[in-house]
This record gives sequence, structure tokens and C-alpha cells, in this order.
Amino acid sequence: MIKRYLSLLIIVLISLHLSAQEWVVPAENGARLSPFAFSDSTRKAGAELYNTNCKSCHGDPGKNNVIKLVPPPPDPASAKMQSNPDGALHFKIAEGKTPMPSFKNILSSVNIWQIISYIRSFNDKYVQKTQTKPGGSGAAGENAKIKIAWLKETHQVQTFISATKEKVIQPVAGTEVKLFVKRYFGNLPIDEARNTDAEGKALFSFPKDLPGDSAGFVQLIVKLSDEAAFGEVKADTTLAIALPTYRPPLNEKRAMWNVVQKAPIWLLLAYTFSVLAAWGFIIYVFLQIRVIYRAGIRKDQ
Amino acid sequence: MASEVNTDFLHNKKLDSIAADILRPVGITQGFVVWMGFLGVSLLGCIYAYYIQFDKGLIVTGLRDYISWGMYIANFVFFVATSLVGMLISSILGLIGFKWVKPIARIAEIIAVAFAAIAGLVIVSDMGRPERLPYVFMYGRIQSPIIWDVTVVTTYMVISALLYFLPLIPDLAISKGRIGHTPKWLQSTYEILSVNWQHTPQQYKILLKAMRILLILIIPTAFAIHTVTSWLFAVTLRPGWDSTIFGPYFLTGAFVAGSAAVVIVMYFVRTNYKLEKYLTHHHFDMMGKLLVLVSIIYLYFNINEYLLPAFKMKTAEAVHIHDLFVGEYAFMFWCVQLLGLIIPIILLLFKVFRKPFSMLVISIFVLVAAWFKRYLIVVPTQDHPFLPKQFVPDAWMVYHPTVIETAITVGTLLLVIIIITILVKLFPVIPIWEMAEEQTGNDESPQD
Ligand code: HEC
Repeated sequence: MIKRYLSLLIIVLISLHLSAQEWVVPAENGARLSPFAFSDSTRKAGAELYNTNCKSCHGDPGKNNVIKLVPPPPDPASAKMQSNPDGALHFKIAEGKTPMPSFKNILSSVNIWQIISYIRSFNDKYVQKTQTKPGGSGAAGENAKIKIAWLKETHQVQTFISATKEKVIQPVAGTEVKLFVKRYFGNLPIDEARNTDAEGKALFSFPKDLPGDSAGFVQLIVKLSDEAAFGEVKADTTLAIALPTYRPPLNEKRAMWNVVQKAPIWLLLAYTFSVLAAWGFIIYVFLQIRVIYRAGIRKDQ
Repeated sequence: MASEVNTDFLHNKKLDSIAADILRPVGITQGFVVWMGFLGVSLLGCIYAYYIQFDKGLIVTGLRDYISWGMYIANFVFFVATSLVGMLISSILGLIGFKWVKPIARIAEIIAVAFAAIAGLVIVSDMGRPERLPYVFMYGRIQSPIIWDVTVVTTYMVISALLYFLPLIPDLAISKGRIGHTPKWLQSTYEILSVNWQHTPQQYKILLKAMRILLILIIPTAFAIHTVTSWLFAVTLRPGWDSTIFGPYFLTGAFVAGSAAVVIVMYFVRTNYKLEKYLTHHHFDMMGKLLVLVSIIYLYFNINEYLLPAFKMKTAEAVHIHDLFVGEYAFMFWCVQLLGLIIPIILLLFKVFRKPFSMLVISIFVLVAAWFKRYLIVVPTQDHPFLPKQFVPDAWMVYHPTVIETAITVGTLLLVIIIITILVKLFPVIPIWEMAEEQTGNDESPQD
């Protein structure tokens, strides 16, 4: 038993040690650049995204009011943050590292670049380098499109990728496709990432027990991984393929926290009864005063 | 209380002398005018303070997001507490059959009416948008202890007012012909309020029945009023409030404050109105014993309320206890416990201290401490919310009542004193007919 605890302790210590280490960014990710030039509109979009997703930990840029965590989240205006190349920022935001959450399933790549454009607005010395477009008529093709189909018998989602190559629309083979389902917070990956076959198709098996809305609807999102080649390509559709799930809202039944019309019966009864009883007696006493008054008149006569 | 009244006392010479004694101070005297003038002018200052708050909002107080219940709510709890004594004296002690409470019962009822009536106003003073008061009734949820509180406070006030008024009716009738020295309007007020009282046995019978109903009804109402007030706090999970004994703890504390208030009013009535014959040393002695009894019970609840959390020292409770015992509030806490509870208990155990003047001094200490005790219950808990205070202006971190807030609080106290003064000065403060009946009864049946 003690041995087991000891080894557990060692594992914890090692992992603590590991997590305290440098945040390594693979060279090819570090070198990535934004596909678009940063502008006022990207900064504005980035500021909004930052305020909803990041501010709770990283605080207001330049104010150093970050949340107390170990290791501490750096202020976006700080040298620590700004010394990252664009690609490294993108990688770190997308991947995360405890306690920094991963945002790759929550924010699109474009969103992350928008946030980076906002972060960079706190650095006067920053000069942006943008990505040179991958060869227009390159191997991958342009205007990639995604079609989504539901295969009922096998309970699978089929995707079909096509692109314009040499002015003809053709299936795209051998490219990586990912399937997600939209959840309350972020996107849930479904099955593994797949590569398209020669016909541009990829099959994903869909779980049978995934809860959907009250009619079983879920929103599917399909993305192409190779953004360098295609840009950001994604498609979504809403299908009734999940388990219909009805979660009664907390204010549906009578409860203490509900509106007065939905107060618990026992409380309504207890309250009404007590009030009526007390005020019944009080009114009775008032009537008695009247009786006393009347009795006095009779005596007078 | 007897269910039949022997109306023989009406023809007894004693009635004349009792009525003369009790009615002599009644009326508009110079002292009364000066005193009311002083109260009225001071009140004007306080009303101006309220005008500023009404105009600018609660920002003129020390209340902010974290400590949003301050002096006002402490004051409210104090008012409700003090008003409870009406039930203790006229109802519980009266129904048990203690005769000595008779001359005091009306004083207790006056205190009950005055404090209960103003308690509602105190709540309004805590509202930043008082014009939204009707919303409480339009949109209030009966699941909320605040609605229960509004309900019971109103009910208690009405019952107390009736319990003050009903036994006053025969006195008004007796007094009608005997207050020639007072202004006309007061005499006609007596005439109207005495609702044709002719001292018929039937009228007495009805009166006694009505009073008996109210005396019983007021017991659950009084328990409800202060238990519900304690629930305003105890239904939360916050350290210092999250307690299962808060109801009885508040109730017993209320009796301490109320008994002290009664002693103070008794003292001034006795000395100013020369009523030593009716408010005797015996009455002060008995009130002293009552005060010591309720104080010991309250001390017992205090020990429970502080010692148990202090023994267990759960994280959040520990911070709270620490604040009270040795921290920021330690001075106030120990003053309240020692000067307002422990030392009075010790002193009052000795007969020498149960004399009128020493009782007055002790009761003032007890009553002032009772006010600060409510402050200690309301404020320190909010100093330590479960989610730490951060990213807020420094002014939000601590609570210091402002001058305006203090003036408004003083104003509510002045209102209470004004009501007490009017009732004590313009109407017989000791029940004439009950005293006369008792003395007549004693004449005829000395063995009683
Ligand atoms: C739960 C709190 C939390 C949230 C939310 C959060 N972060 Fe972080 N972030 C951290 C922490 C903690 C670190 C430091 C991690 C480390 O150094 O190991 C960090 C590190 C980073 C870094 C790396 C800085 C460096 O030292 O190189 C970047 C960039 C970053 N965060 C950006 C963001 C962005 C953009 C968002 C919003 C989309 C965000 N973070 C949301 C906690 C958070």
C-alpha cells in the first residue's frame, strides 16, 4: 500500500516538475503566420473574444490584474507574452497547458489570429508578417467544399470533400477531416480524424448514446485540418441523429426558488392559513369593539 | 386575568384617589412642550439627512456591494427585538397570573407599539429606491423570508396596538370627567376613543374576551416575528449566520433588550410623574429578577452560538470567530458581552442593585449593548464572503457607517421616543381600573 502511495507521489512530483518546465513549441508551429493582415476590425473582433474567453484569467492587458494561479498567466502586454512569435502564440492558445485551457475546439483558427492581433496592439514595436498564399493552382485546389451525409443503417457520418482544380470540381483525396458536435461550451470531437479516400469521402462512426436536444437534434461541424492548403474550410448541419433528451428546466416545477405562482403547495397553505387565522381573530376583535360601542348606546337610552 | 370583573370599584373612594394620581401628569405641560420641541428639531435634522439619501441614493451611506446590510438592518433587528417585550410581560407573565405586571403592562405595550411601528420605516430607510416599496406586494414571493417578515411585523404591530388600546378604553371613560385641566381636543379624543364605554358588565365581558384572544394570539405572532427576522440571516450559508439556534437566540436576546427598555421607561415615569406608589421598589425588584433570568438564558445561547464554532474552527467560521474574539471587532464584542450581559447578570443577582436608580443605569448599558450586539450579528459576517473580494475599489472592502446613515438611524430612534412620549404623557400610563379593581378586591377579601 505504502509503495503504491510512494509511486503515486513520485508520479505527481514528476508531473509537477514537467509542468513547471519551459513551454516548448514545435518549430513548424512556431513559424506559422496569420493568413490575413491585422487591422482595426480584426483587433475589435479579437478584443471581444479576449474579453469573453481570456480576461477572467489574464486580466486587462497592461493592468497586470491577472488571476492567482501557478504558474501565473502572463499579462498580454508583458514582455513574456509579446516575446512569443505569432506562430507560438497561436500554438499555445490552441493547445493550452494546465492550467491554461486548450482553445482549439472552442475557437476557430481565424478567431485565434484575431485574438493575437488584439494582443499585438499592446506592442508598439510589433511589425506583422503575413503568410504568402499557398500556390493558387497548387496541388490541393481552391474553393474546397464539404458535404455531409447521414448513413442511417450504419450510424455513420459521411463527408465528401471537393475542390476546384484546373477549373474542374474534383474530389480531394488524402486530406485530413475532423468531425465535431457543437456542445454548450466548445465543440466535442467525434471519432478520430480521418483522411479522405480516392473519392474524397471519409466515414465517421457516430455514437449511439450522444444526447441531443428534446427532438434529438445536434449540430455537426466538419473541418479540414490542412489550413495552409485550403484556408479555413468548415461546414455544419443540424440533424436529428442523437438521443432525444429532455432536461426539465429548474423552474418548471413548484419550488422554493420559483416565481410565486409556482410556490410549493405546503408553503402556500401554511402561509395563507396563518395569515387568515391571525387576521380572522384581529377582525373579530375589531367587531367586538363595535359591539362594545353599540352596548354603550343602549345603556344611554 | 379574571374572566369576570367586579365593578364595585366604580363606587369605591379608592378609584378617585388612584385616578387623581395617575391623571395628574396627563396633559400638555411646559416640560412636555420643551421636550417635544427638542425631539422635533433634532428630527428635522435627521429628515434632512434622509432627504439627501433619497435624492442621491444609498451611495451616501457606507454600504457597498459586499457589506450591503449595515447599521440600518442592525437597527431594524434591534427594533423588532425590543418590541417583543410587550408579549413577554402582558401576555406570558399576565396569563400565568403574576399580579405585579399590572401597572407595567401598559408601558410594555407602549414600547411594543412604538418599536414595531417604526421598524417598518427602518426597513424603508435601507432601500435605495423607496418608491418601489409597493413592488414588495406586487411581485413579492411568499418563498422569501422577507415577505414573511413584512407579514408578521404588520400583524404584530396591529395586535400590540389593540392590546394597548383595549384595556385603555375603561380608563378613557373613567378619565373623561377628570381631565378638566387638559386642552379641549384631548378631552374630545378621550370621548371618541372611549367608544361609549359605560362600565356595563356586558362591556367588560366582551372586553376581557377580546383581550384574552389577543393575549394568546400575540404569543405565536411574537415568536414568528423574531424567528423570521433571524431567518433572514439563518437561511444563508454564511459563517456567523448559518446557525440552527438563531430563532431562539434572537428571541431570548429580544427579551433582554425589551426588559431593559421597560425599566428605563418605568424609571422616568415613576420619577417625573411621582408615581412611586404604583411603580414601587417591588416592581423594580421583580423587573430586575426578570432581566437577570432572560439575560442568563441569552448568555447560555451566546455560549452555544460562539463556543461551538470556536471549538470546531471550520475554515470560514474561524475567520469570523477570530474577527470577533481578537480581531477587528474584538473591542466591540467584548464590551457588549461584558458590559451588556455578564456584569449586569452578576450585579442584578444582588438585591441592592435591583433598586430603581441602579436598575436604570444597568438597563441603559444593557440596551445600548443590545444595539451593538445586533451590529455585530449583521456586519462582520459580510466582511468575509466565500468568494474573495478582488478588483474592487478600496472603499468597498470595509464598512464605515457615514454621518448621514447615523443621522437617519438616530432619526428612527427619535421617532420611537416621540411615540412613547405622546402615549405616556397624553394618556393614563398605568391602568386605572385594573389598579382600582385590585385594591377594591383586596379590601373585601383580605385572604386573597
Ligand atoms: C483558466 C485560466 C486561463 C484562461 C481562461 C486563459 N489562460 Fe492563457 N494562460 C493561463 C496560464 C495559467 C498560463 C501560464 C501557463 C504556463 O506558463 O505554464 C497561460 C499562458 C498563456 C499564454 C502563453 C504565454 C507565455 O508565457 O508564452 C498565452 C499566449 C495565453 N495564455 C493566451 C490566452 C488566451 C488568448 C486566452 C483566451 C482565448 C487564454 N490564454 C485563456 C491561464 C489561462
